[in-house]
Amino acid sequence: MNALVIALRNDPAELTRLAGLLAGFAQQHEIGGADVLAVDLALHEHVTNIINYGYNDAEPHEILVRLRLQDRALFVEVEDDARAFNPLERPPADTTVPLDRKPIGGLGVHMLRQSMDDLAYRRARGKNLLLLTKRLS
Amino acid sequence: MPITKITSVDNWELTVPGRIDGAVANQLEIEILSAIRAGAKEIFINLSQADFICSAGIRVLLQYYRQMKNNQKTLLVTRPSPNITSILDMTGFKDLIVANTRPRT
Repeated sequence: MNALVIALRNDPAELTRLAGLLAGFAQQHEIGGADVLAVDLALHEHVTNIINYGYNDAEPHEILVRLRLQDRALFVEVEDDARAFNPLERPPADTTVPLDRKPIGGLGVHMLRQSMDDLAYRRARGKNLLLLTKRLS
Repeated sequence: MPITKITSVDNWELTVPGRIDGAVANQLEIEILSAIRAGAKEIFINLSQADFICSAGIRVLLQYYRQMKNNQKTLLVTRPSPNITSILDMTGFKDLIVANTRPRT
């Protein structure tokens, strides 16, 4: 199968399980280490943001991660029922700013942008859908 | 795996293995604060055995890099693994890496 659906709870402990499942999928499909690292980083940052900042309650919620390998690209869709949040509305960070003047906040979204080739967001039926694309090297 | 430390008067090396996620970043911050309280003038974060660092880890490095620098002290990353080099390079933080292999023994 060139696809995998992962259902996560909104619990930080799930991030380790997500990384393990991604690594297994990558190994099965012989995806290169640098590409896996980039997707691992982007997914970690996005799902962390959802879990830590997305919910107005302390109830359990489901976050769905769909991996699909097609035409030498890995497509990752993340679906959650957290508050509406479009990371693409954040202005891109300037990576040339020296360390002394880099902003400390917003690093997660910055790393998400930097590690992926393409990001697309939509809000539908009360859910956030973020499609992350990594063209494989 | 735990964070290990080697101290030599005012020179500290903290080695962080494995996956530096939010929880490990919190542990690293505790160790850095401990070194600062002990009077460390140079803190080197050895990432040769780390294979991943998230934004929480980079935030800790950046925050204490600045704090140390503002006090005429040093905090830098040494011996980054290829994965760590890749992440720091990709995200514009490669200047946190010091080229030499200190601390001195």
